[in-house]
Amino acid sequence: MLTRAQRSNRKKLCIMAALVLLAAAAYMTVDVNFGNAKLLAYSMRIRAPKLLVMLITAFAIGGASLVFQSIINNTIVTPCLLGMNSLYTLIHTAVVFCVGSGSVLAANANAAFAIDLVLMGVTATLIYSYLFKKTKHNVLYVLLVGTVLTSFFSSVQSTMTRVMDPNEYDTLLTTLVASFSNVNAEIILFALAVLAAVIFLLRRELALLDVLTLGKEQAINLGVDYDRCIRRLLLGVTLAIAVATAMVGPISFLGLIIANLARQLLRTYRHTQLILGSALFGMIVLVGGQIIVEHVFTYAVPISVFITVGGGLYFLYLLLTRRRV
Amino acid sequence: MFVKELTKKYDGKAVVDGVSFDIPKRSVISMIGPNGAGKSTVLNILSRLIARDSGLVDFEGQDISHWKSKELAKRLAILTQSNNIQMKLTVQELVTFGRFPYSGNHVTGEDMAIVERAIQYMELAPFRDRFIDELSGGQRQRALIAMVIAQDTEYVLLDEPTNNLDIYHATNMMKIVRRLCDDLGKTVILVLHEINYAAFYSDYICAFVDGRVARFGTVREVMNKEVLSKIYNVDFEILEIEGKPLSIYY
Repeated sequence: MLTRAQRSNRKKLCIMAALVLLAAAAYMTVDVNFGNAKLLAYSMRIRAPKLLVMLITAFAIGGASLVFQSIINNTIVTPCLLGMNSLYTLIHTAVVFCVGSGSVLAANANAAFAIDLVLMGVTATLIYSYLFKKTKHNVLYVLLVGTVLTSFFSSVQSTMTRVMDPNEYDTLLTTLVASFSNVNAEIILFALAVLAAVIFLLRRELALLDVLTLGKEQAINLGVDYDRCIRRLLLGVTLAIAVATAMVGPISFLGLIIANLARQLLRTYRHTQLILGSALFGMIVLVGGQIIVEHVFTYAVPISVFITVGGGLYFLYLLLTRRRV
Repeated sequence: MFVKELTKKYDGKAVVDGVSFDIPKRSVISMIGPNGAGKSTVLNILSRLIARDSGLVDFEGQDISHWKSKELAKRLAILTQSNNIQMKLTVQELVTFGRFPYSGNHVTGEDMAIVERAIQYMELAPFRDRFIDELSGGQRQRALIAMVIAQDTEYVLLDEPTNNLDIYHATNMMKIVRRLCDDLGKTVILVLHEINYAAFYSDYICAFVDGRVARFGTVREVMNKEVLSKIYNVDFEILEIEGKPLSIYY
Protein backbone atom coordinates (compact mmCIF):
# COMPACT_ATOMS: atom_id res chain seq x y z
CA MET A 1 0.00 0.00 0.00
CA LEU A 2 1.50 3.30 -1.08
CA THR A 3 0.57 6.59 0.52
CA ARG A 4 0.37 9.81 -1.45
CA ALA A 5 3.66 11.02 -0.01
CA GLN A 6 5.43 7.87 -1.16
CA ARG A 7 4.01 8.14 -4.66
CA SER A 8 5.11 11.75 -4.93
CA ASN A 9 8.57 10.79 -3.66
CA ARG A 10 8.76 8.12 -6.30
CA LYS A 11 7.96 10.70 -8.91
CA LYS A 12 10.65 13.05 -7.56
CA LEU A 13 13.23 10.26 -7.71
CA CYS A 14 12.27 9.46 -11.29
CA ILE A 15 12.68 13.11 -12.28
CA MET A 16 16.09 13.18 -10.61
CA ALA A 17 17.15 10.01 -12.39
CA ALA A 18 16.10 11.60 -15.68
CA LEU A 19 18.17 14.68 -14.84
CA VAL A 20 21.17 12.48 -14.13
CA LEU A 21 20.80 10.78 -17.52
CA LEU A 22 20.47 14.17 -19.18
CA ALA A 23 23.58 15.50 -17.43
CA ALA A 24 25.52 12.37 -18.31
CA ALA A 25 24.47 12.61 -21.95
CA ALA A 26 25.43 16.29 -22.02
CA TYR A 27 28.79 15.54 -20.42
CA MET A 28 29.57 12.93 -23.06
CA THR A 29 28.48 15.01 -26.06
CA VAL A 30 29.19 18.71 -25.42
CA ASP A 31 31.96 20.01 -27.73
CA VAL A 32 32.67 16.61 -29.22
CA ASN A 33 33.78 16.52 -32.81
CA PHE A 34 31.46 13.92 -34.32
CA GLY A 35 32.85 14.41 -37.82
CA ASN A 36 36.26 12.95 -37.04
CA ALA A 37 36.11 9.30 -35.95
CA LYS A 38 39.54 9.40 -34.31
CA LEU A 39 38.80 12.51 -32.28
CA LEU A 40 35.43 11.07 -31.29
CA ALA A 41 37.04 7.86 -30.05
CA TYR A 42 39.63 9.89 -28.18
CA SER A 43 36.99 12.04 -26.47
CA MET A 44 35.04 8.99 -25.44
CA ARG A 45 38.12 7.28 -24.05
CA ILE A 46 38.85 10.35 -21.93
CA ARG A 47 35.31 11.11 -20.86
CA ALA A 48 33.75 7.71 -20.26
CA PRO A 49 35.97 6.67 -17.30
CA LYS A 50 35.62 10.14 -15.78
CA LEU A 51 31.85 9.97 -15.99
CA LEU A 52 31.86 6.50 -14.49
CA VAL A 53 34.11 7.63 -11.64
CA MET A 54 31.84 10.59 -10.92
CA LEU A 55 28.75 8.39 -10.78
CA ILE A 56 30.44 5.87 -8.48
CA THR A 57 31.82 8.62 -6.25
CA ALA A 58 28.44 10.31 -5.99
CA PHE A 59 26.81 7.04 -5.00
CA ALA A 60 29.51 6.18 -2.47
CA ILE A 61 29.59 9.60 -0.82
CA GLY A 62 25.83 10.14 -0.94
CA GLY A 63 25.01 6.75 0.52
CA ALA A 64 27.79 6.81 3.10
CA SER A 65 26.98 10.31 4.36
CA LEU A 66 23.31 9.53 4.72
CA VAL A 67 23.91 6.27 6.55
CA PHE A 68 26.46 7.98 8.77
CA GLN A 69 24.00 10.71 9.73
CA SER A 70 21.41 8.13 10.61
CA ILE A 71 23.88 6.15 12.70
CA ILE A 72 24.69 9.07 14.94
CA ASN A 73 21.19 10.42 14.63
CA ASN A 74 22.13 13.90 13.50
CA THR A 75 21.80 15.49 10.11
CA ILE A 76 24.54 18.12 10.25
CA VAL A 77 27.50 15.75 10.39
CA THR A 78 29.36 14.03 7.62
CA PRO A 79 32.14 11.47 7.81
CA CYS A 80 34.43 14.19 6.42
CA LEU A 81 33.79 16.54 9.33
CA LEU A 82 35.03 13.77 11.61
CA GLY A 83 38.29 13.49 9.74
CA MET A 84 37.72 10.37 7.67
CA ASN A 85 39.15 12.16 4.64
CA SER A 86 42.27 13.28 6.43
CA LEU A 87 42.67 9.80 7.91
CA TYR A 88 42.60 8.43 4.39
CA THR A 89 45.16 10.99 3.25
CA LEU A 90 47.36 10.11 6.21
CA ILE A 91 47.17 6.38 5.53
CA HIS A 92 47.90 6.86 1.86
CA THR A 93 50.87 9.10 2.63
CA ALA A 94 52.14 6.69 5.26
CA VAL A 95 52.13 3.82 2.78
CA VAL A 96 54.12 5.81 0.23
CA PHE A 97 56.39 7.08 3.01
CA CYS A 98 57.16 3.58 4.30
CA VAL A 99 57.50 1.58 1.09
CA GLY A 100 58.40 4.33 -1.37
CA SER A 101 56.42 5.41 -4.43
CA GLY A 102 58.40 3.12 -6.70
CA SER A 103 57.40 -0.01 -4.84
CA VAL A 104 54.69 -2.25 -6.29
CA LEU A 105 52.55 -1.56 -3.25
CA ALA A 106 52.31 2.12 -4.10
CA ALA A 107 52.82 2.20 -7.85
CA ASN A 108 50.20 -0.41 -8.72
CA ALA A 109 46.92 1.45 -8.32
CA ASN A 110 44.94 -1.61 -7.31
CA ALA A 111 47.48 -2.82 -4.76
CA ALA A 112 47.77 0.63 -3.23
CA PHE A 113 43.99 0.88 -3.07
CA ALA A 114 43.68 -2.53 -1.39
CA ILE A 115 46.20 -1.56 1.28
CA ASP A 116 44.49 1.79 1.87
CA LEU A 117 41.11 0.09 2.20
CA VAL A 118 42.24 -2.47 4.75
CA LEU A 119 44.14 0.04 6.90
CA MET A 120 41.35 2.58 6.66
CA GLY A 121 38.65 0.04 7.52
CA VAL A 122 40.44 -1.20 10.61
CA THR A 123 41.63 2.12 12.04
CA ALA A 124 38.49 4.12 11.32
CA THR A 125 36.17 1.49 12.75
CA LEU A 126 38.30 1.19 15.88
CA ILE A 127 38.63 4.95 16.39
CA TYR A 128 35.08 5.96 15.62
CA SER A 129 33.20 3.13 17.29
CA TYR A 130 35.27 3.78 20.42
CA LEU A 131 34.54 7.48 20.10
CA PHE A 132 30.79 6.98 19.80
CA LYS A 133 30.69 4.59 22.71
CA LYS A 134 32.83 6.79 24.91
CA THR A 135 30.78 9.94 24.28
CA LYS A 136 27.49 8.02 24.34
CA HIS A 137 26.69 9.36 20.86
CA ASN A 138 26.82 12.94 22.07
CA VAL A 139 27.05 14.75 18.76
CA LEU A 140 28.77 17.86 20.03
CA TYR A 141 31.57 15.86 21.63
CA VAL A 142 31.89 13.70 18.56
CA LEU A 143 32.16 16.76 16.34
CA LEU A 144 34.68 18.38 18.64
CA VAL A 145 36.87 15.29 18.84
CA GLY A 146 36.44 14.88 15.08
CA THR A 147 37.79 18.36 14.47
CA VAL A 148 40.77 17.68 16.71
CA LEU A 149 41.39 14.36 14.96
CA THR A 150 41.23 16.07 11.56
CA SER A 151 44.03 18.46 12.44
CA PHE A 152 45.95 15.68 14.18
CA PHE A 153 45.87 13.46 11.10
CA SER A 154 46.75 16.40 8.84
CA SER A 155 49.71 17.40 11.01
CA VAL A 156 51.14 13.90 11.05
CA GLN A 157 50.64 13.71 7.31
CA SER A 158 52.32 17.04 6.62
CA THR A 159 55.24 16.06 8.88
CA MET A 160 55.74 12.99 6.71
CA THR A 161 55.60 14.95 3.49
CA ARG A 162 58.17 17.41 4.83
CA VAL A 163 60.82 14.76 5.36
CA MET A 164 59.93 12.99 2.16
CA ASP A 165 62.03 12.95 -0.97
CA PRO A 166 60.71 15.81 -3.19
CA ASN A 167 60.20 13.52 -6.15
CA GLU A 168 58.22 11.08 -4.05
CA TYR A 169 56.15 13.96 -2.76
CA ASP A 170 55.41 15.10 -6.27
CA THR A 171 54.07 11.68 -7.21
CA LEU A 172 52.05 11.52 -4.04
CA LEU A 173 50.51 14.95 -4.45
CA THR A 174 48.72 14.11 -7.67
CA THR A 175 46.79 11.38 -5.86
CA LEU A 176 45.91 13.59 -2.90
CA VAL A 177 44.28 16.62 -4.47
CA ALA A 178 40.60 16.30 -5.25
CA SER A 179 39.94 16.73 -8.89
CA PHE A 180 37.79 15.10 -11.46
CA SER A 181 40.15 16.17 -14.16
CA ASN A 182 42.65 13.73 -12.75
CA VAL A 183 40.68 10.67 -11.71
CA ASN A 184 42.06 7.34 -10.68
CA ALA A 185 40.31 5.27 -13.34
CA GLU A 186 42.40 2.14 -12.92
CA ILE A 187 40.54 1.06 -9.84
CA ILE A 188 36.98 1.39 -11.18
CA LEU A 189 36.35 -2.36 -11.24
CA PHE A 190 37.88 -2.89 -7.83
CA ALA A 191 35.84 0.00 -6.40
CA LEU A 192 32.61 -1.33 -7.85
CA ALA A 193 33.37 -4.75 -6.40
CA VAL A 194 34.02 -3.24 -2.96
CA LEU A 195 30.78 -1.24 -3.00
CA ALA A 196 28.77 -4.25 -4.15
CA ALA A 197 30.31 -6.42 -1.43
CA VAL A 198 29.58 -3.80 1.23
CA ILE A 199 25.94 -3.52 0.20
CA PHE A 200 25.56 -7.29 0.02
CA LEU A 201 27.18 -7.98 3.40
CA LEU A 202 25.29 -5.19 5.12
CA ARG A 203 21.89 -5.81 3.53
CA ARG A 204 20.34 -6.78 6.87
CA GLU A 205 21.77 -3.80 8.72
CA LEU A 206 20.73 -1.44 5.92
CA ALA A 207 17.16 -2.69 6.29
CA LEU A 208 17.38 -1.76 9.98
CA LEU A 209 18.32 1.85 9.31
CA ASP A 210 14.73 3.07 9.53
CA VAL A 211 14.44 1.66 13.04
CA LEU A 212 17.90 2.83 14.11
CA THR A 213 16.93 6.45 13.57
CA LEU A 214 14.38 6.16 16.38
CA GLY A 215 17.38 6.31 18.70
CA LYS A 216 19.30 3.75 20.71
CA GLU A 217 16.65 3.04 23.34
CA GLN A 218 13.83 2.59 20.87
CA ALA A 219 15.94 0.44 18.56
CA ILE A 220 16.85 -1.91 21.42
CA ASN A 221 13.26 -1.91 22.60
CA LEU A 222 12.21 -3.10 19.14
CA GLY A 223 14.72 -5.93 19.27
CA VAL A 224 17.71 -4.59 17.32
CA ASP A 225 21.22 -5.69 18.30
CA TYR A 226 22.27 -2.04 18.41
CA ASP A 227 26.02 -2.08 19.05
CA ARG A 228 26.80 -4.76 16.48
CA CYS A 229 24.60 -3.08 13.91
CA ILE A 230 26.30 0.30 14.38
CA ARG A 231 29.78 -1.25 14.20
CA ARG A 232 29.06 -3.00 10.92
CA LEU A 233 27.40 0.02 9.34
CA LEU A 234 30.30 2.19 10.39
CA LEU A 235 32.72 -0.16 8.65
CA GLY A 236 30.58 0.09 5.51
CA VAL A 237 30.59 3.88 5.67
CA THR A 238 34.36 3.92 6.09
CA LEU A 239 34.93 1.68 3.09
CA ALA A 240 32.58 3.72 0.90
CA ILE A 241 34.35 6.95 1.87
CA ALA A 242 37.70 5.29 1.19
CA VAL A 243 36.51 4.25 -2.26
CA ALA A 244 35.40 7.78 -3.09
CA THR A 245 38.54 9.40 -1.71
CA ALA A 246 40.80 6.95 -3.50
CA MET A 247 39.20 7.71 -6.83
CA VAL A 248 38.99 11.49 -6.73
CA GLY A 249 40.67 12.68 -3.52
CA PRO A 250 38.90 14.32 -0.57
CA ILE A 251 35.81 16.41 -1.34
CA SER A 252 34.71 17.54 2.07
CA PHE A 253 31.24 18.96 1.90
CA LEU A 254 29.65 17.09 -0.94
CA GLY A 255 28.14 14.48 1.37
CA LEU A 256 26.66 17.10 3.66
CA ILE A 257 25.03 18.96 0.79
CA ILE A 258 23.52 16.02 -1.02
CA ALA A 259 22.34 14.11 2.05
CA ASN A 260 20.53 17.16 3.39
CA LEU A 261 19.10 18.13 0.01
CA ALA A 262 17.69 14.61 -0.22
CA ARG A 263 16.18 14.87 3.27
CA GLN A 264 14.66 18.26 2.51
CA LEU A 265 13.24 17.19 -0.81
CA LEU A 266 11.87 13.80 0.20
CA ARG A 267 10.82 14.48 3.79
CA THR A 268 10.65 10.82 4.69
CA TYR A 269 12.31 8.37 7.04
CA ARG A 270 12.59 5.58 4.47
CA HIS A 271 16.25 5.02 3.81
CA THR A 272 15.87 3.26 0.49
CA GLN A 273 14.43 6.49 -0.90
CA LEU A 274 16.80 8.75 1.03
CA ILE A 275 19.96 6.91 -0.04
CA LEU A 276 18.80 6.84 -3.64
CA GLY A 277 17.90 10.52 -3.51
CA SER A 278 21.22 11.46 -1.95
CA ALA A 279 23.16 9.50 -4.58
CA LEU A 280 21.17 11.00 -7.45
CA PHE A 281 21.70 14.51 -6.10
CA GLY A 282 25.41 13.77 -5.91
CA MET A 283 25.46 12.66 -9.53
CA ILE A 284 23.62 15.78 -10.68
CA VAL A 285 25.93 18.08 -8.70
CA LEU A 286 29.14 16.35 -9.81
CA VAL A 287 28.37 15.79 -13.47
CA GLY A 288 26.66 19.17 -13.86
CA GLY A 289 29.48 20.90 -12.00
CA GLN A 290 32.14 19.19 -14.06
CA ILE A 291 30.45 20.30 -17.30
CA ILE A 292 30.62 23.87 -16.04
CA VAL A 293 34.23 23.49 -14.91
CA GLU A 294 35.34 22.06 -18.24
CA HIS A 295 33.39 24.19 -20.64
CA VAL A 296 32.70 27.48 -18.87
CA PHE A 297 35.81 27.89 -16.76
CA THR A 298 37.97 25.72 -19.02
CA TYR A 299 39.60 23.97 -16.05
CA ALA A 300 40.64 27.25 -14.39
CA VAL A 301 38.75 26.40 -11.19
CA PRO A 302 38.51 22.81 -9.93
CA ILE A 303 35.09 21.56 -8.89
CA SER A 304 36.22 21.02 -5.30
CA VAL A 305 36.38 24.79 -4.88
CA PHE A 306 32.71 25.13 -5.74
CA ILE A 307 31.80 22.23 -3.50
CA THR A 308 33.76 23.54 -0.53
CA VAL A 309 32.46 27.10 -0.85
CA GLY A 310 28.87 26.05 -1.52
CA GLY A 311 29.03 23.35 1.12
CA GLY A 312 30.45 25.70 3.72
CA LEU A 313 27.67 28.21 3.16
CA TYR A 314 25.04 25.46 3.22
CA PHE A 315 26.50 24.10 6.45
CA LEU A 316 26.21 27.55 8.06
CA TYR A 317 22.66 27.84 6.80
CA LEU A 318 21.78 24.46 8.33
CA LEU A 319 23.37 25.38 11.65
CA LEU A 320 21.60 28.73 11.86
CA THR A 321 18.15 27.61 10.79
CA ARG A 322 17.87 24.49 12.92
CA ARG A 323 16.08 24.75 16.21
CA ARG A 324 18.41 22.31 17.91
CA VAL A 325 21.73 20.72 17.07
CA MET B 1 9.58 -11.94 36.36
CA PHE B 2 11.82 -11.29 39.32
CA VAL B 3 15.15 -9.66 40.13
CA LYS B 4 17.68 -10.83 42.64
CA GLU B 5 20.62 -9.00 44.23
CA LEU B 6 20.83 -6.50 41.39
CA THR B 7 23.85 -4.20 41.57
CA LYS B 8 25.06 -1.40 39.33
CA LYS B 9 27.97 0.90 40.03
CA TYR B 10 29.03 4.13 38.36
CA ASP B 11 32.61 5.16 39.12
CA GLY B 12 32.74 2.87 42.11
CA LYS B 13 29.58 4.31 43.63
CA ALA B 14 26.69 1.86 43.86
CA VAL B 15 23.59 3.37 42.24
CA VAL B 16 21.68 0.14 42.59
CA ASP B 17 22.70 -1.92 45.57
CA GLY B 18 21.42 -5.45 46.14
CA VAL B 19 17.90 -4.95 44.84
CA SER B 20 15.58 -7.99 44.92
CA PHE B 21 11.85 -8.22 44.31
CA ASP B 22 9.18 -10.26 42.53
CA ILE B 23 6.95 -8.67 39.92
CA PRO B 24 3.37 -9.89 40.33
CA LYS B 25 1.73 -10.56 36.96
CA ARG B 26 -1.29 -8.59 35.73
CA SER B 27 -0.75 -5.68 38.03
CA VAL B 28 0.48 -2.11 38.02
CA ILE B 29 3.71 -1.62 39.96
CA SER B 30 4.91 1.92 40.60
CA MET B 31 8.49 2.66 41.53
CA ILE B 32 8.80 5.78 43.66
CA GLY B 33 11.54 7.43 45.64
CA PRO B 34 13.66 10.56 45.82
CA ASN B 35 15.85 11.68 42.90
CA GLY B 36 18.88 9.49 42.41
CA ALA B 37 17.42 6.57 44.35
CA GLY B 38 18.07 4.23 41.43
CA LYS B 39 14.52 3.56 40.30
CA SER B 40 15.08 4.52 36.67
CA THR B 41 18.31 2.54 36.59
CA VAL B 42 16.49 -0.57 37.82
CA LEU B 43 13.82 -0.08 35.15
CA ASN B 44 16.49 0.25 32.47
CA ILE B 45 18.24 -2.89 33.68
CA LEU B 46 14.93 -4.78 33.61
CA SER B 47 14.53 -3.80 29.98
CA ARG B 48 18.13 -4.65 28.90
CA LEU B 49 18.92 -1.02 28.06
CA ILE B 50 21.67 -0.85 30.69
CA ALA B 51 24.00 -3.67 31.62
CA ARG B 52 24.07 -4.64 35.29
CA ASP B 53 27.24 -5.36 37.25
CA SER B 54 25.86 -8.36 39.07
CA GLY B 55 22.60 -10.02 40.01
CA LEU B 56 19.86 -11.84 38.18
CA VAL B 57 16.94 -10.61 36.07
CA ASP B 58 14.69 -13.59 35.51
CA PHE B 59 12.12 -13.35 32.73
CA GLU B 60 9.82 -16.37 32.28
CA GLY B 61 12.34 -18.75 33.83
CA GLN B 62 15.38 -17.51 31.92
CA ASP B 63 17.85 -14.73 32.57
CA ILE B 64 17.07 -11.73 30.39
CA SER B 65 20.54 -11.78 28.80
CA HIS B 66 19.84 -15.24 27.36
CA TRP B 67 16.75 -14.03 25.51
CA LYS B 68 16.93 -13.16 21.84
CA SER B 69 16.43 -9.41 21.65
CA LYS B 70 13.75 -9.76 19.00
CA GLU B 71 11.77 -12.33 21.01
CA LEU B 72 12.00 -10.16 24.08
CA ALA B 73 10.67 -7.23 22.04
CA LYS B 74 7.42 -9.17 21.57
CA ARG B 75 7.07 -9.74 25.32
CA LEU B 76 8.41 -6.60 26.90
CA ALA B 77 8.27 -2.95 25.83
CA ILE B 78 10.02 0.04 27.35
CA LEU B 79 9.54 3.74 26.95
CA THR B 80 12.30 6.01 28.28
CA GLN B 81 12.49 9.75 28.73
CA SER B 82 15.20 10.30 26.16
CA ASN B 83 13.56 10.45 22.78
CA ASN B 84 15.39 12.34 20.16
CA ILE B 85 13.84 11.55 16.81
CA GLN B 86 15.33 13.61 14.02
CA MET B 87 13.62 11.89 11.15
CA LYS B 88 10.71 13.22 9.19
CA LEU B 89 8.30 10.72 10.67
CA THR B 90 4.53 11.04 11.00
CA VAL B 91 2.61 9.88 14.06
CA GLN B 92 1.07 7.03 12.09
CA GLU B 93 4.50 5.89 10.88
CA LEU B 94 5.96 6.05 14.38
CA VAL B 95 3.16 3.94 15.82
CA THR B 96 3.60 1.47 12.96
CA PHE B 97 7.18 0.89 14.15
CA GLY B 98 5.63 -0.84 17.15
CA ARG B 99 4.93 -3.76 14.82
CA PHE B 100 8.59 -4.05 13.81
CA PRO B 101 9.42 -7.03 16.06
CA TYR B 102 6.61 -9.00 14.39
CA SER B 103 6.72 -8.02 10.75
CA GLY B 104 9.98 -6.16 10.19
CA ASN B 105 9.60 -3.60 7.42
CA HIS B 106 6.68 -5.43 5.80
CA VAL B 107 3.52 -4.37 7.58
CA THR B 108 0.46 -6.60 7.22
CA GLY B 109 -3.24 -5.69 7.32
CA GLU B 110 -3.48 -7.14 10.80
CA ASP B 111 -0.63 -4.88 11.91
CA MET B 112 -2.46 -1.87 10.52
CA ALA B 113 -5.57 -2.75 12.52
CA ILE B 114 -3.51 -2.95 15.71
CA VAL B 115 -1.84 0.36 14.90
CA GLU B 116 -5.23 1.95 14.30
CA ARG B 117 -6.50 0.75 17.70
CA ALA B 118 -3.41 2.14 19.42
CA ILE B 119 -3.93 5.52 17.76
CA GLN B 120 -7.54 5.63 18.94
CA TYR B 121 -6.49 4.58 22.46
CA MET B 122 -4.19 7.57 22.76
CA GLU B 123 -6.62 10.08 21.17
CA LEU B 124 -4.16 10.69 18.37
CA ALA B 125 -6.47 10.41 15.36
CA PRO B 126 -6.42 14.16 14.59
CA PHE B 127 -2.60 14.18 14.54
CA ARG B 128 -1.92 11.01 12.61
CA ASP B 129 -0.34 12.72 9.60
CA ARG B 130 1.63 15.32 11.54
CA PHE B 131 5.41 15.03 11.74
CA ILE B 132 6.77 14.06 15.15
CA ASP B 133 9.15 17.02 15.34
CA GLU B 134 6.21 19.39 14.84
CA LEU B 135 4.27 18.10 17.87
CA SER B 136 4.25 19.51 21.37
CA GLY B 137 6.14 17.57 24.04
CA GLY B 138 2.93 16.11 25.42
CA GLN B 139 1.62 14.99 22.05
CA ARG B 140 4.94 13.40 21.21
CA GLN B 141 4.87 11.44 24.46
CA ARG B 142 1.40 10.15 23.67
CA ALA B 143 2.52 9.11 20.20
CA LEU B 144 5.39 7.15 21.73
CA ILE B 145 3.05 5.44 24.15
CA ALA B 146 0.74 4.54 21.28
CA MET B 147 3.75 2.89 19.67
CA VAL B 148 4.41 0.86 22.81
CA ILE B 149 0.75 -0.16 22.83
CA ALA B 150 1.04 -1.26 19.20
CA GLN B 151 4.01 -3.40 20.21
CA ASP B 152 1.44 -5.46 22.09
CA THR B 153 3.65 -6.91 24.81
CA GLU B 154 2.74 -8.65 28.02
CA TYR B 155 5.03 -6.40 30.02
CA VAL B 156 5.14 -2.63 29.63
CA LEU B 157 7.87 -0.56 31.29
CA LEU B 158 7.38 3.19 31.45
CA ASP B 159 9.98 5.66 32.68
CA GLU B 160 8.09 8.67 34.06
CA PRO B 161 5.25 8.57 31.55
CA THR B 162 3.51 11.59 33.08
CA ASN B 163 6.55 13.79 32.58
CA ASN B 164 5.75 16.87 30.47
CA LEU B 165 2.02 16.10 30.43
CA ASP B 166 -0.60 18.49 31.75
CA ILE B 167 -3.08 17.33 34.41
CA TYR B 168 -5.65 16.22 31.85
CA HIS B 169 -3.19 14.13 29.84
CA ALA B 170 -1.32 12.88 32.89
CA THR B 171 -4.53 11.63 34.50
CA ASN B 172 -5.59 10.14 31.20
CA MET B 173 -2.21 8.46 30.97
CA MET B 174 -2.66 6.87 34.37
CA LYS B 175 -6.16 5.71 33.41
CA ILE B 176 -4.69 4.13 30.30
CA VAL B 177 -2.05 2.42 32.42
CA ARG B 178 -4.89 1.03 34.55
CA ARG B 179 -6.80 -0.11 31.46
CA LEU B 180 -3.70 -1.77 30.00
CA CYS B 181 -3.64 -3.90 33.12
CA ASP B 182 -7.38 -4.45 33.74
CA ASP B 183 -8.65 -4.84 30.16
CA LEU B 184 -5.64 -6.25 28.34
CA GLY B 185 -4.06 -8.19 31.21
CA LYS B 186 -0.65 -6.51 30.90
CA THR B 187 1.87 -6.07 33.66
CA VAL B 188 2.85 -2.41 33.84
CA ILE B 189 5.94 -1.27 35.72
CA LEU B 190 6.47 2.46 35.85
CA VAL B 191 8.65 5.06 37.49
CA LEU B 192 6.59 7.90 38.95
CA HIS B 193 7.40 11.08 40.80
CA GLU B 194 3.84 11.88 41.79
CA ILE B 195 3.10 9.70 44.82
CA ASN B 196 -0.65 10.18 44.64
CA TYR B 197 -0.81 8.89 41.09
CA ALA B 198 1.05 5.84 42.32
CA ALA B 199 -1.36 5.48 45.24
CA PHE B 200 -4.48 5.93 43.19
CA TYR B 201 -3.69 3.86 40.11
CA SER B 202 -1.27 1.11 41.12
CA ASP B 203 -1.61 -2.23 42.84
CA TYR B 204 1.88 -2.30 44.29
CA ILE B 205 4.43 0.32 45.16
CA CYS B 206 8.16 -0.23 45.24
CA ALA B 207 9.90 2.54 47.14
CA PHE B 208 13.62 3.13 46.60
CA VAL B 209 16.10 4.95 48.80
CA ASP B 210 19.84 5.15 48.08
CA GLY B 211 19.81 2.33 45.56
CA ARG B 212 17.99 -0.12 47.83
CA VAL B 213 14.40 -1.21 48.06
CA ALA B 214 13.08 0.58 51.14
CA ARG B 215 9.68 -1.00 50.90
CA PHE B 216 7.84 -3.20 48.41
CA GLY B 217 4.18 -3.83 49.12
CA THR B 218 0.58 -3.15 48.29
CA VAL B 219 -0.46 0.47 48.05
CA ARG B 220 -1.95 0.36 51.54
CA GLU B 221 1.24 -1.03 53.07
CA VAL B 222 3.46 1.66 51.62
CA MET B 223 1.09 4.62 51.84
CA ASN B 224 1.53 5.12 55.49
CA LYS B 225 2.70 8.11 57.38
CA GLU B 226 5.80 6.59 58.97
CA VAL B 227 6.99 4.73 55.88
CA LEU B 228 6.69 7.74 53.55
CA SER B 229 8.26 10.16 56.03
CA LYS B 230 11.24 7.85 56.29
CA ILE B 231 11.64 7.53 52.53
CA TYR B 232 11.35 11.19 51.63
CA ASN B 233 12.47 12.92 54.84
CA VAL B 234 9.35 15.08 54.71
CA ASP B 235 6.26 15.13 56.94
CA PHE B 236 3.23 13.32 55.54
CA GLU B 237 -0.48 13.10 56.27
CA ILE B 238 -2.59 10.32 54.75
CA LEU B 239 -6.20 10.96 53.74
CA GLU B 240 -8.84 8.55 52.44
CA ILE B 241 -10.62 9.46 49.20
CA GLU B 242 -12.89 6.97 47.41
CA GLY B 243 -11.48 4.31 49.67
CA LYS B 244 -7.92 4.96 48.56
CA PRO B 245 -5.08 6.47 50.55
CA LEU B 246 -3.81 9.82 49.34
CA SER B 247 -0.89 11.71 50.79
CA ILE B 248 -0.36 15.33 51.66
CA TYR B 249 3.19 16.47 52.20
CA TYR B 250 4.47 19.77 53.46
